[in-house]
Amino acid sequence: MRTKKTLMLPFLLLLFFCIITTQAQQNITISGTITDAESGEPLPGVTVIVQGTTNGTSADFDGNYSISTSSNATLVFSYVGYGTQNISINGRTQINVNLSVDSQQLDEVVIVGYGTQTSRKVTGSVQQIDSEELADIPVPQVTQKLQGRLVGVQINQTTGKPGEGMQVRVRGQASILAGSDPLYVVDGFPIVGDISTINPDEIESISVLKDAASTSLYGSRAANGVVLITTKSGKSGQAGLSFSYYAGIQAVPQKGRPDMMNGTEFAQFRKESFEDLGQPVPEPFQNPEQYGEGYNWYDAMLRNAPMQSYNLNWNSSTEKSSVAIVAGFFNQEGVMINSDFKRYSLRANSNFKLSDNLNLGISVAPSYSIDNIPSSDGAFYATNVDAAIPGGLITNALQTWPILPFKNNDGTYPLSAWIPGISAFPTPNWVYAAQEITNETKETRVLGNLFIEYQPIDGLRLKSTLNGDMGNTSFFNFSPSNVSTTFAALPPTIATSIRRESKYVSWLNENTVNYSKSFGDHSIAVLGGISFQKFNADNSQIYLSNFPDDRIRTIQSALNIDRTRSFNNINEWSLTSFFSRLNYDYKGKYLFSASLRRDGSSRFGSNNRWGNFPSASVGWVFSDESFLEDSKFMSFGKIRASYGIIGNNNIGNYTQYALVDNSLNAVFGNSIASGAAITTFGNSNLGWERTKQMDIGLDLRLFNDRVEFIYDYYKKNTTDLLFNVSVPQESGFEDFNDNVGELEFWGHEFALISRNVANDNFTWTSNFNIAFNRNKVVSLAEGVDRIFSGGAYGSITRPGEPLGQFWGLIHDGVYDNQQEFDSSPKAVESEVGTIKFVDTNGDGVITNGTENDDRTVIGNPFPDYIFGLTNDFRYKNWDASIVISGSIGNDIAVTNDQGTTNLDGPFNVLREIEDRWRSPENPGSGRYGKTTSATFMERDWFSSRFIEDGSYLTVKNITLGYSLPLNKKSFLKAARLYGSVQQAFVFTGYRGANPEISTTTQGEQATALALGFDWGAYPVPRTFTFGFNLTF
Amino acid sequence: MKRINIILAVFTIFTFLSCEEDFLEIPPEDSLSQTIFFQKQGDFEQAINATYAPLRDLYNIGGNNQGAWGMGELPSDNTYYRYNPSYRAVQAGESIADFYVNDGNATIENKYTINYLIIARANQILDLIDDVEFEDDSMRDNIKGQAYFLRALSYFDLVQYFGSVPLHLVPATSRNDAALPLSTSEEILAQILNDANDAVSFLPTKSNQEAGRATRGSAQMLLANVNLVQENWSGAESVLSDLLTSGEYDLLGNYANVFDLNNKNSVESIFEVQFLEGTDGFASSFMYSWLPMPLTAEQVATISGVTNSQASNNQGFNIPTPDVIESYEDNDLRKTVSIDSIDLDGRYYPYINKFWQPHSNPGLTGANWPVYRFSEALLFYAEAINEQGRPGDAEPYLNQVRNRAGLAPLNGLSQENMRQAIMNERRVELAFENKRWPDLVRTGMAQSVMSDFGTRVKANPQDYYFPDGFAPPAAAFGTIYEVFPLPASEALLNPNF
Repeated sequence: MRTKKTLMLPFLLLLFFCIITTQAQQNITISGTITDAESGEPLPGVTVIVQGTTNGTSADFDGNYSISTSSNATLVFSYVGYGTQNISINGRTQINVNLSVDSQQLDEVVIVGYGTQTSRKVTGSVQQIDSEELADIPVPQVTQKLQGRLVGVQINQTTGKPGEGMQVRVRGQASILAGSDPLYVVDGFPIVGDISTINPDEIESISVLKDAASTSLYGSRAANGVVLITTKSGKSGQAGLSFSYYAGIQAVPQKGRPDMMNGTEFAQFRKESFEDLGQPVPEPFQNPEQYGEGYNWYDAMLRNAPMQSYNLNWNSSTEKSSVAIVAGFFNQEGVMINSDFKRYSLRANSNFKLSDNLNLGISVAPSYSIDNIPSSDGAFYATNVDAAIPGGLITNALQTWPILPFKNNDGTYPLSAWIPGISAFPTPNWVYAAQEITNETKETRVLGNLFIEYQPIDGLRLKSTLNGDMGNTSFFNFSPSNVSTTFAALPPTIATSIRRESKYVSWLNENTVNYSKSFGDHSIAVLGGISFQKFNADNSQIYLSNFPDDRIRTIQSALNIDRTRSFNNINEWSLTSFFSRLNYDYKGKYLFSASLRRDGSSRFGSNNRWGNFPSASVGWVFSDESFLEDSKFMSFGKIRASYGIIGNNNIGNYTQYALVDNSLNAVFGNSIASGAAITTFGNSNLGWERTKQMDIGLDLRLFNDRVEFIYDYYKKNTTDLLFNVSVPQESGFEDFNDNVGELEFWGHEFALISRNVANDNFTWTSNFNIAFNRNKVVSLAEGVDRIFSGGAYGSITRPGEPLGQFWGLIHDGVYDNQQEFDSSPKAVESEVGTIKFVDTNGDGVITNGTENDDRTVIGNPFPDYIFGLTNDFRYKNWDASIVISGSIGNDIAVTNDQGTTNLDGPFNVLREIEDRWRSPENPGSGRYGKTTSATFMERDWFSSRFIEDGSYLTVKNITLGYSLPLNKKSFLKAARLYGSVQQAFVFTGYRGANPEISTTTQGEQATALALGFDWGAYPVPRTFTFGFNLTF
Repeated sequence: MKRINIILAVFTIFTFLSCEEDFLEIPPEDSLSQTIFFQKQGDFEQAINATYAPLRDLYNIGGNNQGAWGMGELPSDNTYYRYNPSYRAVQAGESIADFYVNDGNATIENKYTINYLIIARANQILDLIDDVEFEDDSMRDNIKGQAYFLRALSYFDLVQYFGSVPLHLVPATSRNDAALPLSTSEEILAQILNDANDAVSFLPTKSNQEAGRATRGSAQMLLANVNLVQENWSGAESVLSDLLTSGEYDLLGNYANVFDLNNKNSVESIFEVQFLEGTDGFASSFMYSWLPMPLTAEQVATISGVTNSQASNNQGFNIPTPDVIESYEDNDLRKTVSIDSIDLDGRYYPYINKFWQPHSNPGLTGANWPVYRFSEALLFYAEAINEQGRPGDAEPYLNQVRNRAGLAPLNGLSQENMRQAIMNERRVELAFENKRWPDLVRTGMAQSVMSDFGTRVKANPQDYYFPDGFAPPAAAFGTIYEVFPLPASEALLNPNF
């Protein structure tokens, strides 16, 4: 604690100092009109900012603005595509400005950590996307809108579940255990979790901070990158109401649906299996033709589904206050039966000017969402461990025998789909199950923000904020007695129900001092701050079973409470931070910035409680040098370089403690006796993961700003990785949590923005980005030379290689005949006609599952490069855009084939299995062996037969819009109609529907060490949408 | 200036409020941590209970990753499996029965890791118990005795199945002391004798101990077993003599009664693993893995007696062999208690019957696992005496067991004949109680018995429950080994292996 107090002292002194030296300043109101220098037309929407502050406004429809500040301040007028002008007020109250299209348009204001910067002065790697660029895409998730637009950021939609968040990875950052999701900061408040509950219409801009210089002010939470979300606030001159609506229809394309056997084909396949065995063919398979097409279980799980979105925006602004309100309702039915998602959201952001130098802001954003989605994802035997809910419904339906009906001719549903004595597993009717179960999540979230900002003298701002994030999630699952959702369990079953309540509160108090000043050619900006954040979550679950009546689903009606699946847990953490930053530039062309954050966290061991996260960066606007000043070719050029240390503190709240498990109960006679033992090692040295990141960047604008080019090279080294180093279980423990090992990441990022055509009637802008992200394991824990992840169908992580490489045998066809069999290495159980593998260790036999077996690296889930391409067109009142995103060179392990290529016949299989080995004369395609013996090697031994190229190019969105020509003075000021296709086309050689897939067997989001497995997931639909936006 | 003061106050209040000493100290609220555990008698009472808890998994785990029965009975000539061509995810279990096991086998890993879990919990107790004030010092002795017993029992299990293993006697506190070098089986056995002797001296007798916990008799029986493995016949005789004359134990009148749920921890019980019927997670289900699957729901119900049984399409393990059925003498009352059979499409499949007791939910039974019973103490005693050249003195103890089974007494046997009689008596009296395989190993018979058995299985696969057209793989019964490989998962992590 001593350290903390001594550290805080300078901050407090600084506060006192600032306040004591306060001098009253004369504040005046300045107004005027902004016009286009060439045409003389008023320019609406121009940003007006008091230099060195965030005090700003923007011009109204008629180009008029009004702002209050001290009489000797400087106003900065900026507008996209126009040169920025800095004008000293010098006591004037009326300033009219002519802006001209100019190379200086780079001076757009960019939101950075704890403030804003003009883009020409940014020395870090920051990419900002404004809402106008995203407005076109009618999708419920913000991240869907960002796909293909952010350079070096991979955004994957791993499942099509409505309302589900997406996997966002900034610069390929990964961690073994501490998570790889970026930190989301909403209006200055680092929130817990992701932004999937936020209505995209509330968002004004999104900044992605990628390098250490831009993220290090977020210290121990910055290593995975930081996404700054700024929500809409009231803008002067834009008072009014607008309404937007869209409606869409979602459908799963035929392409990408698994190509399974139909009824006749399946019965024929089974018939042949018995014939090959020399056994009598059971009656159901004797006449395959009787089944015809049979029943397509996969299709039966899907439907075409509608969705609608309604948004109402209110905006008002006066001299003293501004308010922006966004109210939204989103309603989506899912393409899987009995799945839907609804979101109600409201955000009210208001700002009050209490006096000329005192600002108060209040914002509150409640949201409420309901989804009901059966546990669709994962392998056929998936069960969510915590909740004990069976999953994998999609996969289970896919595998069900097509000779059995999901619906009777009379419209009723059979309860099961198996033939006793002939089917290997009792199979419930998945289609019926998906309809009957309830799997509902209701989430309430309130984000609130209160700040007070005081500007005692020009250039000095004191700000104190209080932020709160409260959430409550109620989960309810009910599986009635007339269905079974469990693999190999038939109804009637015992009805079960799970109720889970999760509550959390996170609050943050942040106090900052900002001072900026120019002395001749020198300008400096200084930031200092202290913050305190605390998080508390309380989760309870109760697992009930044996309901006398499926219609009464209350807790008290259940006959049993399963104690082993009922629990309550409490999670808390706290964080105290000090941070500061210095920005300096000389003539706006030599730029320097340095920052330091010091974080103390309850998660860190008592011997290692505080961490320092420094960074420094420099920039040189070389185009301002005399030798380039008059260049026709280059209008702007800047070189940037940065270096810093950032952390990842997602190491678990209590990982440092040696925990006592007090549920290790014993039985003696007929009574239960409570038992407790220490079950984990403690580690009081445990700390954050540390990432050192270097970035070198180049920003260029060429040909009078027609072409913009951005390049970045980065190199990151993450050390002190949280890892539960496995220890021999002879110790009675499984692992020891420690900070070990080192990962290296590096990459090149290119972005090219080209204004191909820009004239009054027609504009065409292209935006292309491509990123080459690489990673390599430098070292793991001492004595650990490999980490296996993902079970038998798994990945290996070894020093010198990238993370999580697919680890299995190399498929080498089938032993076609006795001669081939005799001359090839084989496994103990191999026979002529069974699968053949490569003897990689050269010992003459094929082995799998032991230490030095024949497994090797058979694939890489990481792409060679990812890219995005956006084209925007505008012709008179028409506008169009097309967004493409892609990934090249990544492999996918189609582990779902474990079921769908099972030669034993318990499940329906891929149609291509028709072409399997049946005899030396009839050896088939060489991909599949015989059905009669040793089939487990083909199915249970992970081999290159499961690996496919996952490269893709997806046309994410195509939109065509038309704006009605309206008089801006009329009641309806603007109206735009549009039609859109989301997930329009997927160009891929991958046979599945969604090449972005990556799940665990349980259908959950994969960890960094086990990416790229396709265990089956909710399909991602194509959506056709029509919508309109009206402004009154 | 007034406004400034307010703002200043706001800043400083937040600052100091948050600067309380404990803002960054947040120990878990929903579980105990080491800093506050092992402080009082009650903590140690809970700790010893937790030391028993893993025994349930050790003996009960079913399916393809098996518990103790997967290594105690399945490798022997007593049981085999019913090959199911449509359920093939069973290589781990088959490779044990067919002697081509590899070190990645989950059954082996279960045996190893669960025993060390018990050892680690016992070590935690023994390391700290003498430093803590107890309200009742006899409870301290009792807990120490139980901890010594459980540690000895686990090491005995390890040394019998693996031979040389690491010897942990104090708790590991960090990564560095988690892996120890292998100790020889002689060193392990010496430590087991120490612990078992300590347990004998600390533990109360059965009548003074809570039912189900280890007693002085449990420790004596373990001690005797170790002595027999070491062929210290007189040592075994002496400790068993104490046990037999303690007055605490006797045979129940009827063999079937031994497994009746009303007779849990009966006068015949010396140590048994405790289960409790119901959904609280303490029930046993091992006998469900031994159903001659695949079976329909009706067939399962016929055997289990549970009306809402589920069909089971798995592969049945621990199916009694024709050999064990043959080893029962005519009129042995135990035969029908231990083994029954079911007609499946005109063919009879035997199954282990003696553990099937009434229960209401599928897979949730209350059956305990008998680790040591008094009939085994009698047979141990007979063996210890016979091996010292006194077959005549051994007769009454052997005949006491035979008598209950409805068999005529054996008299005037030579030492060798007596030896064989005792072994066969053990085979049928203790059938399916994980005794057969360790008996074969300790008497040196494993090689010959299992080679012959393998020859029979391969010659007539259909007699050993293979469907027509199927047979064990070529690699089956290639090498008969007496200890199992140390688990690969541990070998990877312990540089000493």
